[in-house]
Amino acid sequence: MEYKDYYKIMGVARDAKPDEIKRAYRKLARKYHPDVSKEADAEEKFKEVAEAYAVLGDEEKRKAYDELGSNWQQGQDFRPPPNWDTHGFEFHTGGPGGAAGFSDFFEELFRGIHGAGPRQTRNVRMRGQNEQARIFIDLEDAFHGATRTLNLRVSEPDAHGRMHQRNRTLNVRIPKGVRPGQHIRLSGQGGAGIGGGEAGDLLLEVQFNPHKLYSVEGMDLTLKLPVTPWEAALGAKVKVPTPEGPVELKVPAGAKGGQRLRLKGRGLPGRSPGDLYARLEIVTPPAHGEKERAFYEKMAETFDFNPRAGLGVE
Amino acid sequence: MNSGSKATISGIVLSEQETVTLDELAGLCTVEQSWVVELVEQGALEPLGSAGREWSFSAGALGRVRTAARLRRDLELDAAGIALALELLDEIDLLRARLRSLD
Repeated sequence: MEYKDYYKIMGVARDAKPDEIKRAYRKLARKYHPDVSKEADAEEKFKEVAEAYAVLGDEEKRKAYDELGSNWQQGQDFRPPPNWDTHGFEFHTGGPGGAAGFSDFFEELFRGIHGAGPRQTRNVRMRGQNEQARIFIDLEDAFHGATRTLNLRVSEPDAHGRMHQRNRTLNVRIPKGVRPGQHIRLSGQGGAGIGGGEAGDLLLEVQFNPHKLYSVEGMDLTLKLPVTPWEAALGAKVKVPTPEGPVELKVPAGAKGGQRLRLKGRGLPGRSPGDLYARLEIVTPPAHGEKERAFYEKMAETFDFNPRAGLGVE
Repeated sequence: MNSGSKATISGIVLSEQETVTLDELAGLCTVEQSWVVELVEQGALEPLGSAGREWSFSAGALGRVRTAARLRRDLELDAAGIALALELLDEIDLLRARLRSLD
């Protein structure tokens, strides 16, 4: 397992004061928060920062971490010292990023102690917690329905009421017509109940994996459709892919690059299905051979055409 | 909880046409009702009408409340700050969509 240099991750000195650490956390959190940041690795970065702050921002955890000494390097192979114990203190979940999804290093150091679990008390019956997760599906799944496997990391109380992390695998049916941002409610698939209480619900937020052909906006899909200059100029019938199979699209004569042609009802399925827009992209063939070059030269002679007429230059 | 079971689980899709009560909205997102009320007071969230004693919301509010809950937990924002952040994020989404339709 790799050693994590939490001070380096947060960009603070080993003797930083608690308020310095808090300031550093807030700055980094705003920069990398996945809801706010669009940096490609924001989610990964934020997780690291949240984990570092979960340790350094907590007096007891920081002390325990500091006891490992300062000779470790970020990423170095780490084995906990044989006399390492968890000091018997207890932490509560609910810190930034949630306790789930922290590194193995964190798990090893603070194993089984991040959460004073609900105690098993006789005569107490409690409904389990509702839980939330996100599932990424392919666009095609929304058209045809599918079954997808979801891996969850869940905190569970053991017989002594202590919280433990566990991997849980669920096969979830993805119903046809589901859209990004919608939620699927899975009754009784959340946290376990206590004392015979019923389990909570699991709320799954649906997101789409990026698609190589289509971009999604609301119910509508957009596809970049390359056409030749003669197809655009003269008009043509071209084959266009849609998630439900290819269809023929009429490109009108005199079509322009960037123009959007609508295929009604070919967007995401639903009571009133979305549309699919084909955005024309005029692609000029390369003038590789002698014949092709001659043809372009002929065009230059034939056409009295200045695409820059509107720019005020000759 | 049926741990490790390979059975396929079916759920209910909460589409925008579905409504959830204040109680359900707070419960499903694991936040306090009073905090959801605060979000409404800040204009970060719109209840559907004001008929009856209990508010109801479009299920589309689930995503908004969950984003708000993450902003509160991770950035320690208050309801006013969250309302502002959500508004700016909406605007960025709109501008990004417009940008996509141009390029």
